Amino acid sequence: MSKEFTDKHVLMVRDLNVRFYTYAGVVHAVSDVSFDVYRNEIVALVGETGSGKTMSTRAITRLIEAPGRIESGLVLFRRRNGSVVNLMKLSDEEIRRIRGDEIAYIFQDPSSALDPLYTIGHHIVETILDHKRVIKRIARETAIKVLKETAIPNPEIRVKSYPHELSGGMRQRSVISMSLVNSPILLIADEPTTNLDVTIQAQILDLLKDLVKKSNMSVILVTHNLGVVAETADRVYVMYAGNIVESAEIQELFEKPLHPYTQMLLRSVPNPLKKIEKLESIPGTVPTLINPPPGCRFHPRCPFAMEICRREKPPLIEAEKNHYVACWLYAKR
Amino acid sequence: MGFGSFIARRIITFIPTIIGVLFLTYIIAYAVPTDPVRAWVSEKLTDPKLIERIREEYKFNAPWYEQFAFFVTSIFTGSLRDPVRHTNVFDEIKTRFPVTVELALVSFIFLVAISIPLGILAALYKDSWIDFLVRILAFFGSSMPSFVLYYFMILIFFSWLRATYLAGIPMISLQCMDKLNNIATTYPVIGGVIASIGYVPLFGGAMCGEWDVVSETLKRLYVPALSLALLNGGFIARIVRNSFLDALGSEYILFAKARGLRRFNVWRHALKNTMVPVTTILGLSFGGLLSGAVIAETVFNIPGIGRYMYESIMRLNFPALIASVLLVALIYVIINLIVDILYAYIDPRIRY
Amino acid sequence: MRDAVYNLLSKSIDLYVALRDKIDPQWSMRNASRIEEWRLMAYAFSRSYIGLLGGLIVFVTIVTAVIGPIIAPQPYWVYPVIENESLRYLPPCIPPICSGGPLLGTDEWGRDLLSMILYGVRISFVISVVIVLLGVPIGILLGLVAGYRGGLVDESIMRLTDMFLAFPGLILAIAFASVMPQRIRDILEASPPLRDFLSAIFGLRPQEYGQLAALISVWVAMVIVWWPGYARIVRGTVLSVREQPFVEAAKLLGLSTSKILYRHILPNIISPIIVMMTFDLATATLAAAALSFLGLGPQEPVPELGYLISKAGQFFPEKSLHVVAIVGSILLIIALGWNLLGDALRDVLDPKTRRSLEFRRRG
Repeated sequence: MSKEFTDKHVLMVRDLNVRFYTYAGVVHAVSDVSFDVYRNEIVALVGETGSGKTMSTRAITRLIEAPGRIESGLVLFRRRNGSVVNLMKLSDEEIRRIRGDEIAYIFQDPSSALDPLYTIGHHIVETILDHKRVIKRIARETAIKVLKETAIPNPEIRVKSYPHELSGGMRQRSVISMSLVNSPILLIADEPTTNLDVTIQAQILDLLKDLVKKSNMSVILVTHNLGVVAETADRVYVMYAGNIVESAEIQELFEKPLHPYTQMLLRSVPNPLKKIEKLESIPGTVPTLINPPPGCRFHPRCPFAMEICRREKPPLIEAEKNHYVACWLYAKR
Repeated sequence: MGFGSFIARRIITFIPTIIGVLFLTYIIAYAVPTDPVRAWVSEKLTDPKLIERIREEYKFNAPWYEQFAFFVTSIFTGSLRDPVRHTNVFDEIKTRFPVTVELALVSFIFLVAISIPLGILAALYKDSWIDFLVRILAFFGSSMPSFVLYYFMILIFFSWLRATYLAGIPMISLQCMDKLNNIATTYPVIGGVIASIGYVPLFGGAMCGEWDVVSETLKRLYVPALSLALLNGGFIARIVRNSFLDALGSEYILFAKARGLRRFNVWRHALKNTMVPVTTILGLSFGGLLSGAVIAETVFNIPGIGRYMYESIMRLNFPALIASVLLVALIYVIINLIVDILYAYIDPRIRY
Repeated sequence: MRDAVYNLLSKSIDLYVALRDKIDPQWSMRNASRIEEWRLMAYAFSRSYIGLLGGLIVFVTIVTAVIGPIIAPQPYWVYPVIENESLRYLPPCIPPICSGGPLLGTDEWGRDLLSMILYGVRISFVISVVIVLLGVPIGILLGLVAGYRGGLVDESIMRLTDMFLAFPGLILAIAFASVMPQRIRDILEASPPLRDFLSAIFGLRPQEYGQLAALISVWVAMVIVWWPGYARIVRGTVLSVREQPFVEAAKLLGLSTSKILYRHILPNIISPIIVMMTFDLATATLAAAALSFLGLGPQEPVPELGYLISKAGQFFPEKSLHVVAIVGSILLIIALGWNLLGDALRDVLDPKTRRSLEFRRRG
């Protein structure tokens, strides 16, 4: 992948490595991960639990805590004022300013993301006040406004509610409000709908799409749910065992999946309209990420595994236009 | 639902508890097979007429429910008499309880001053020498027999350093006492509260400007207070440490950081959450201290209510015992109530 | 040393498994994962310095308690001071600095302190064990019933518990310990076999049954104080477990109440209870000593550790410093042993902390 930060770029991640130093050994959670996010698009990071998708997004703003460590990587970000910075090289205070203001997060579980002892309003107001110099009254009014934007009924009352007084869907909307209140350039949504009912899921996703259309925001959507991806994303990165194995535009990926993992992933989602004899699954389990062996990480489960797959890790190459894949089936050797 | 109804409900539940406590105390007293009256008059003459009169006064010849009723009514009308000291039980308690209160307060201040900073430091410097030290303090504090520690503290601070003394306790002057009584009578409710606070020599001395009372009291009490704090401080510091670590590691803290909150505000979230279990523990500790540290008062020769209870038991002085046990139990229940209310104030989830 | 402990624990597990298999064949296969957990617990325990130290102290305490009265050089019912005044409060005489004198000095009555301690440890140990072993089951039982039944039964048990808890523990214990000795004395007088049995357990002579009565009243007083705490906690746990789906499933399957309580609810609360009991053994030891210190327990000639200290308090520190220091240290060490052990057990029995040690073993 090129290292050119174009006008269309909002975020560019190259060769990101995150390791965890645990009792059991060194876990290579994220290995040489590279991806791009452009203006006003929704990019999906798809993978199973343990694929490294969450850690990659946390690493972007250096939210990794011990025993985790960001070993290396380049993360270029275009700030609101137009300047391009390497987030890995900024001071702690600089990064703090960017978080919650220019890059915002939505976490998976809204119940645990909110401090049970403080009201929703307090959460939003503090997010505003720690980034902008406004008086409290204005901040409170802004809080009510942003709650309204996320379709929370009776925002004037809700602003004084505690997290436990709200339903799951409303909690997630509150979390979204907090993340959006400072109009971030980049929103990282980590499994925003996984813990919610299916009906609420649809509402939240529509809300996200709506907000992207209205503002100039880009979204990184982390999920394991292909249905959500199909509904919402413009481009997709498929991750497995800490690596990116395939990336393409949404239509292209679903029509022409190249990587065996992606193919099996798509096949394992049953089509409700077709008569199914057997549920497909991918045999085997995700490998341990402690001291991974050489070679392609998927080869133990891959039906097309070759000799070279055991020996060397395939590079990510552009197999078709804007369609990248890391697999020896396509790379020249 | 709300805060108010929560408080109301909690208050209602403690009435049966108090009644139960009263009854329990009475049962204990009544269960004595020996004749307490003989114990009461043992030092004086054994004139059988006197013994009979005392029996009549305390209704020993009446059936148990009449006796119980007698005790209850005389407690509530403040007319119960201490048969050994020949004074009104309430006068005795009025001089002794404030002493226990000031001991409890000074001990509590030491306790908080030791345990909270140590606990937070132990959390921040996890597994360092500070953490280790706090752990050791906790183990020794909970394994050390209190009376042994007291003896050694006396050895160090009294015998060697001569930095404290072990007899009597400073009291506010009679003029000050009169001033307080005046306030109590002139301003009904508020005056009563202020006067009660003033009965505690530490505060009364400050109120009347009798600063020597304040300084002497501190000089008298800091050794037992420090001992009590050392015994409990380690344990509480550990709780603070674990609670703080739990809070720091939680999702909402990570989310707070993800929202780019300033470090101070991130800490505020963690600290408030830490305070939830810590307040409970501290409140219960204070309640325990108020119940009269019997052993500390005995060893350090402090004339507080714990000592009074102990002496009453030794002399089988049941009127005194019942009154003071009742007071102590009442205080304990009130403290529990306050702790519950504080807990609900801090943690909105509890208010239901 | 660590490996020795692990081997010992591992062999014990093997033995237990073999026995169970004899009674119920295939048991070990059905419970394979549970047995593996036990091995893991044993391993985690052997890796913990605190656990090993605590275990060592507890072991020494138990051994001393058992054989103490038997090997004590001097009897406790003899007062050497009657013959020879100068024997009172002799300081310790430890070779090689000094020789010929009593190893740890003497007490107020000229008795060899070492011997008194050997008797005293037995008394402290037995009383603490019995307090916990009696108070805990009562508390658990009441807590289970209250939590599971709910309604009026729950309310009444909880009111009772609150009443007892409203009393500061020591005060309640003091109150009971002061009024009971008479009653118990009468009971002991009426029943010699009971008297002899109890005396033997505490390592005392039957003649001192008066003091024994005081000792027992301390014990009963403390049991009364002990159970409410457990009842409350167990009830709380039962309430939270009761709502879980697997309990409902068991009910639907037609399991009887007692079976549900025993098979499903109890295992969930057993670990915290074991930990609490261990800590309580420390607390009970100190509390019993405190009651004796206040003069509510046995008096002369019974050499209860707390009582020895209270007597020594009069001549402190000029003459009796060694008594307070030495006997105080013994109490400290006994309590410390239980506290350390409890702390280690808490880590070992918590599946999360156990796991972090598993990796060290495998990797």
